[in-house]
Amino acid sequence: MQPLLHLNNVSKRYGAVRVLDGIDITVADNEFLTILGPSGSGKTTILRIIGGFEGIDGGSLMFEGRDLSAVPINRRPFNTVFQDYALFHHMTVAENVGYGLKVRGRPKAEIAKRVAEVLDTVGLGTLGGRYPAQMSGGQRQRVALARAIICEPRLILLDEPLSALDVELRAQMQRFLKSLQRRLGIAFVFITHDQEEAIALSDRIIVVNRGRIEQEGAPEELYRRPRTPFTASFLGDNNLIPGTLAAVDGRLCTVDTAAGLLDATVDGPAPATGSAVLVAVRPEHVRLDADPAAPHGLSAEVADVRFLGANVMIELLNPALPGAVIKVRRLADGSVAGLRPGASVRLRWAADDAALLQMAP
Amino acid sequence: MNTSLRRDRQDLLRAGLGHALNLGLPLLFVVIPILSFVVVSFWTLQDGQILLIPTLANYRTFFTDGSYLPVYLQTVGLSLQVTLVNVALSTAIALFIFRRTPRMRFLILMSFMLPLFMSYIIKVYSIRSILGQRGLLNEAMLGLGLIDQPIEALLFSRTAIFIALAVLYLPYAILPMYLALDRIPANYLAASADLGATPIQTLRDVVLPLGRPGIAAGAVFTFILTFGDFVTPQMVGGTQGFTFGRIVFSQFGLALNWPLGSALAVILLATTLLAVALAGLSLRREHVR
Repeated sequence: MQPLLHLNNVSKRYGAVRVLDGIDITVADNEFLTILGPSGSGKTTILRIIGGFEGIDGGSLMFEGRDLSAVPINRRPFNTVFQDYALFHHMTVAENVGYGLKVRGRPKAEIAKRVAEVLDTVGLGTLGGRYPAQMSGGQRQRVALARAIICEPRLILLDEPLSALDVELRAQMQRFLKSLQRRLGIAFVFITHDQEEAIALSDRIIVVNRGRIEQEGAPEELYRRPRTPFTASFLGDNNLIPGTLAAVDGRLCTVDTAAGLLDATVDGPAPATGSAVLVAVRPEHVRLDADPAAPHGLSAEVADVRFLGANVMIELLNPALPGAVIKVRRLADGSVAGLRPGASVRLRWAADDAALLQMAP
Repeated sequence: MNTSLRRDRQDLLRAGLGHALNLGLPLLFVVIPILSFVVVSFWTLQDGQILLIPTLANYRTFFTDGSYLPVYLQTVGLSLQVTLVNVALSTAIALFIFRRTPRMRFLILMSFMLPLFMSYIIKVYSIRSILGQRGLLNEAMLGLGLIDQPIEALLFSRTAIFIALAVLYLPYAILPMYLALDRIPANYLAASADLGATPIQTLRDVVLPLGRPGIAAGAVFTFILTFGDFVTPQMVGGTQGFTFGRIVFSQFGLALNWPLGSALAVILLATTLLAVALAGLSLRREHVR
């Protein structure tokens, strides 16, 4: 099936600085796609290229098989929700929302009707007469959304739209965004640096770092099976233990580390034995065994126990892994109640919960 | 105990002094000088002597004596014309600057502001040297064969006054207009285009409405400066240049009629205040973020 939007091998440079390098992105109809990356990763540039605010230096940008690179901003078939909303402060909410229809020369009665409908959709039914300055951050956010969807684009671009909201409102807006996207049945391309937000909202996440795509996939897949050290540490917490690949048996790999042999699994073709690798294991996937001599796993000494309410975060050290703090997250139940700094324990995990990562070449 | 009492008194003194300065400075430098000529405008002139007898005769003179009101109305008309032309010119120039790259903007803006750093008299004389009988304009047109002999009417005419005033006060209109445009958030233009607006539609719906405070300020500056100017009309207008400002000036000079001069000055002040009020009214409150 033809994708709705296709960025094919797109590159972009500012002077001598290469900000995007061989970016390949497809967006399917109806999809909630998040482009996730730290600041300076190039994610905003990707959005600006799709929106038409930046040109490209290489590659192509296609919408339903049609080349968009020569199409000016105002002729591109999608709309943008800007980071600070960019609501026109001299227009009322209704004028802001109806602006896309006004510039298309639609009759006034039709505009008024559509504005009322769209304001209803975003839950601002009666506030059309207000000015943006008279509204809260969350309401302005909804106005920006209403303005972007009124022309019924097949795709909208959202540039970190939740970053200006406080925590509680942000959670509420996340639920709202997700349900709105499902109701409208249009594709959302969402830019964020917030990995929790990306995981909570997306059908698919593309992790971007230093102008390149690190990994893409469903949130659960990325979280459970990171393939690069960057993805592993950028999405949630991870323990990364360096070693060399000792043996491969199907998916199962044995890694020789300074602290002994550790188990992990690999997705796709395994690297050659003997190459430098990392074992990535989530703090919540590590089990504690009180018997320090138990087979498999890693022995360590408890350095710190932090009580976080429902969970405890335990930090451990292994003398063979200098500088590496191993983090373990456990439910704060009876099994960890007696744990004190200085205790010796054995750390174990299911091989399926540990991902084998290739070191960057 | 004793020290805290002293501190209280010091704080009180400091606060009192602050308030006194807040009110006193504008009073001393603005209100009192203005009030002084308002007061003088109600005094009587008899046999060359100013008498402290209150009268409305000076104001009556303005309305009934046939020489003042027509000049007043002509000057209002001239000032409105200059204002209109300057608003149009400054809007176009400010938009031109606004569309350059940030580095170029500053350079172009500064070059348009350059006349503000020059003495008034130099500017007026350079205008004279352009418009004069052997001036730049006449010589150029002669050289190009557009005319057979120099046009005398270029200088010492109402048109000359009009051109000179417009040129002199253009920077005062450009600056506020440009500053208003400069305050428009860059992503408003992106958002407007994103919503499908053509550049012309963005100009009409976003840029110009948000530039309105600048237009109003530029218009007020131009009107007030033009209306009160009494040197330029004389220098480039000759006998044609009998504007209201010159009448006021002559009452304090040649005619030595300070009470009438003051009354005319009050009328000048009232006119400019009216212009400010009208400009203020034209701005809806929502435009001022």
